[in-house]
Amino acid sequence: MTGTTRSVPAAGQAAPIVAQGRTKAVLSEGKRAERRLGLLLCAPAAVVMIAVTGWPIVYSIWLSLQRFDLRFPAKREFVGLQNYLTVLSDGYWWTSVVVTVGITVVSVVIELVVGMTLALIMHRTLVARGLIRTVALIPYGIVTVVAAFSWKYAWTPQTGYLADLVGPDKAVLTERLPALGAIIIAEVWKTTPFMALLLMAGLALVPDDLLRAASMDGAGPWQRFVRIIVPVMKPAILVALLFRTLDAFRVFDNIFVLTGGAQGTGSVSMLTYDNLIKGLNLGIGSTMAVLIFIAVAIIAFLFIKGFGAAAPGSDQGGKR
Amino acid sequence: MTVIGGAETRARKVRWSIIDIVVVVYALIPVLWILSLSLKSKNTLTDGNFVPREWSIQNYIDIFHTNEFLLALVNSIGIALIATAIAVVLGTMAAYAIARLDFPGKQLLVGFSLLVAMFPQVSLVSPLFEIERSLGLFDTWPGLILPYITFALPLAIYTLSAFFREIPWELEKAAKMDGATPAQAFRRVIAPLAAPGVFTTAILVFIFCWNDFLFAISLTSTTRSRTVPAALSFFTGSSQFEEPTGQVAAAAVVITVPIVLFVLFFQRRIVAGLTSGAVKG
Amino acid sequence: MRTAGPPTAPPGRTGWRRRSRRRCTAMLATAAVVAPLLVACGSGPNAGITINVYLPPEEHFQQVIDNCGKQAAGRYSIVYNKLPRDADGQREQMVRRLAANDTGMDVLGLDVTFTAEFAGAGWIEEWTGDRRAEAEKDVLAAPLESAKYQGKLYAATKNTNVQLLWYRDDVVSTPPTTWSDMIAAAERLKAEGKPNQIAFTGAQYEGLVVEFATLVASAGGHILSDDGTKAVLDDGAIRALQTLKDFATAGVTSPSMTNDIEDDARHELENGQSAFEVNWPYVYAAMQADKPDLAKHFTWAPVPGVDPGQPSRVAIGGRNLAVSAFSPHKAEAFDAALCLRNAANQEYSAINDGVPPTISSVYDDPAMTGPYPMKDTIRQELRDAATRPITPAYQNVSTLISTILSPPSAIDPRATADELRTKIQQALDSKGVLP
Repeated sequence: MTGTTRSVPAAGQAAPIVAQGRTKAVLSEGKRAERRLGLLLCAPAAVVMIAVTGWPIVYSIWLSLQRFDLRFPAKREFVGLQNYLTVLSDGYWWTSVVVTVGITVVSVVIELVVGMTLALIMHRTLVARGLIRTVALIPYGIVTVVAAFSWKYAWTPQTGYLADLVGPDKAVLTERLPALGAIIIAEVWKTTPFMALLLMAGLALVPDDLLRAASMDGAGPWQRFVRIIVPVMKPAILVALLFRTLDAFRVFDNIFVLTGGAQGTGSVSMLTYDNLIKGLNLGIGSTMAVLIFIAVAIIAFLFIKGFGAAAPGSDQGGKR
Repeated sequence: MTVIGGAETRARKVRWSIIDIVVVVYALIPVLWILSLSLKSKNTLTDGNFVPREWSIQNYIDIFHTNEFLLALVNSIGIALIATAIAVVLGTMAAYAIARLDFPGKQLLVGFSLLVAMFPQVSLVSPLFEIERSLGLFDTWPGLILPYITFALPLAIYTLSAFFREIPWELEKAAKMDGATPAQAFRRVIAPLAAPGVFTTAILVFIFCWNDFLFAISLTSTTRSRTVPAALSFFTGSSQFEEPTGQVAAAAVVITVPIVLFVLFFQRRIVAGLTSGAVKG
Repeated sequence: MRTAGPPTAPPGRTGWRRRSRRRCTAMLATAAVVAPLLVACGSGPNAGITINVYLPPEEHFQQVIDNCGKQAAGRYSIVYNKLPRDADGQREQMVRRLAANDTGMDVLGLDVTFTAEFAGAGWIEEWTGDRRAEAEKDVLAAPLESAKYQGKLYAATKNTNVQLLWYRDDVVSTPPTTWSDMIAAAERLKAEGKPNQIAFTGAQYEGLVVEFATLVASAGGHILSDDGTKAVLDDGAIRALQTLKDFATAGVTSPSMTNDIEDDARHELENGQSAFEVNWPYVYAAMQADKPDLAKHFTWAPVPGVDPGQPSRVAIGGRNLAVSAFSPHKAEAFDAALCLRNAANQEYSAINDGVPPTISSVYDDPAMTGPYPMKDTIRQELRDAATRPITPAYQNVSTLISTILSPPSAIDPRATADELRTKIQQALDSKGVLP
């Protein structure tokens, strides 16, 4: 079989490959050359990805089992799981976990709602469709740190246009909940267009005649949306949610610029960075890295198994 | 094609125009604000006005007179271009194999790149910091290019293989039957068909590398390899007690220019690329 | 620019050449943007030795650098690389490069709190023999102590720093001597409708740690044991916490106190809302420049104490010059450091940048009196000054203190002391998580 027809989910693919493996002896010369070429072409990409992710993650598991603080190089020793105990019993770690989960959930929910609206607008607007799509790409493309500085200065008392709106003597970025709100706004602004684009791809799959038929049967816009559009778009929605959730879980840039993690606004990425780069504690920093890796793996697993999100690549995110 | 019954009335157009304006405002306000800040004079920088009362390009003159920003800009451009080039070449090879060839381990590769795309990058910071420190890669261009290629590869592979699947490969066969050599068939028929996809992928990968902050700030320490996003948060400014707000804003605007140009000229391609791969780095 | 660019950072001759060539290729690719820079590439490092000095921005320090460059008479040239303004940023930048064994830094301008960490990690050279004798000669005791770790000298003192109580003598007749007096005075002024607030660096950052260390020492308490291995937080510390809480809840501060760093505090007095300000001496010169009218009524006293009749003990700041263990030119770096902090240059910096000298004789120079009138109060405070905790884990200890004390109004003296004790002890054992 050739690649051109491959829109089959990953699980379905496994069987033919196994079958081919068994019939290795009777492979034609051409088939064998194709296999060799395929492996050859993929090798460099695979090697780079494994070298830069696989090896370091193994190495960080090794580091996480040691007491290893660059400021006390002489005290480096193997401590087993003690770092995990330390981190998992630490209030700051759990605070950052709560902050991260909070930011992730709130921002992804808002992004889904706003993103769906934006997708509908981009999909259906009668005026200036090209302009709207162009403009909506700007938040996606702009450097996160640049956007973060823009928000930061907007909230800075005296300097910013938003600071005046919330009143004098209020420094939004220095109080915990307002600061978290500012972080979420920055996240939502930056990533909603990406969400909207993914959803728009799903919208294109909704058959117009189905909508027209429903409309003739007297279904209102909301009913059409809930009964027809959403079910058809479900795979696209789940893929968009999966990617945005994992992405939001890694939130770092906005927090670094907006609050630096002060007043209990640090995410797990921020805390890891602080322990590693400020604290130079490779043991604790690596422990956090491994824990985050596990958390991300669990989220991805839940999405793919639990909600049946089709892994992109097997389903191409709704593109047909 | 998207209209569900009903005529296009003037009222509907007006309604859509208003909605469009809301979208434009939403998307542009933070961008216009940083632009406005960068164009304010020193005296009016902290007046809190959205539109500058006194215009000045002094901030731009200032940043282009410091090595701090210029070197960071050189680093940003160089590192992003090199990483993009390598990632696109490797990605094209792999994507072609995935789209066109049958070989064992294909699903494994697809699955693994998916894993990399979801990888929490901060998990790599501590091992990479330590590994690069001992290999002497810390604070060098390759020290950043390597992780950039790695995280750009899934994006490149997905986007490219989606594009490659759309290419009517039968044309290649047809050309060969018409007497073209394989090289000619590739150059005359396939390359022109594949080029737009490769180009689009290059833009997406470049945006990704251009955007990175976590690696840039963790794996560099001097102007030798520090890119603009990292340099922004390290600006000292010229005087002891003054926040270099205007200069940060000006530098931010400068690195936004290429993004805006990409978006303006290649909007269609970027949208196509993003939705086909359904992957963001 | 504040880090080493190509012309200033030669980390080993050959390595630099190679890198500079690679850099040049890349630059050519973007020649349009950076045409002026290309000039710097072809030539490579000159034959002479370059000593890279890393210090936070001081407006007139380039003059000192130039003086010492001239004095080196061709043996080496000195380049001033600016570090960030905040202590955390300074440390982060230096530490990361030192951890990577970077050879591009020669003389490091360390905040007084960095000495133990840098010395403990083996990143800076010990001062011995004649050089040590010269670096210690005539230096006041408290600053000198800040340059030592475990009895050895690791840096030459460049300047010291102590906070003073600044106040307006048009509304305050006699300066308060305890915090409770000061709070009462502020409340009185408030009732009279006069400028009344107490400007204070209460943000969650190093400045809050300085204030806390001052309060603890003034109350006769301890944060760490003398050998720096145990978190103590004794009764004195608890009374210091009580004082801080009383102050933060008395309604005598700016509403943005929990967000204020040095410059915010300075502005609050300059713009007329505060009558008192606890801050470093640089505010004096700034006031002369910004508000010449108000400057006439801008005067100073020692920082108030905690207990009546018990003068305060102020935690010192300041900057010491150390030589990087990875410097390829250590001998020259030591000499350059000695020059940069000699008596003449310290006096120049005091007069022009407002930083208090560490060499005793400089205070006696009549030329100092005019531009530096608070020198006697500074010296009086220095006589019995305190330090912030001395430990290689200082960064962690400090981060914990500022986090746990924020906001100061939420302090519960006993519980807060217990929390500090547990967390700081973990940090000392490099076991805890850094917030």
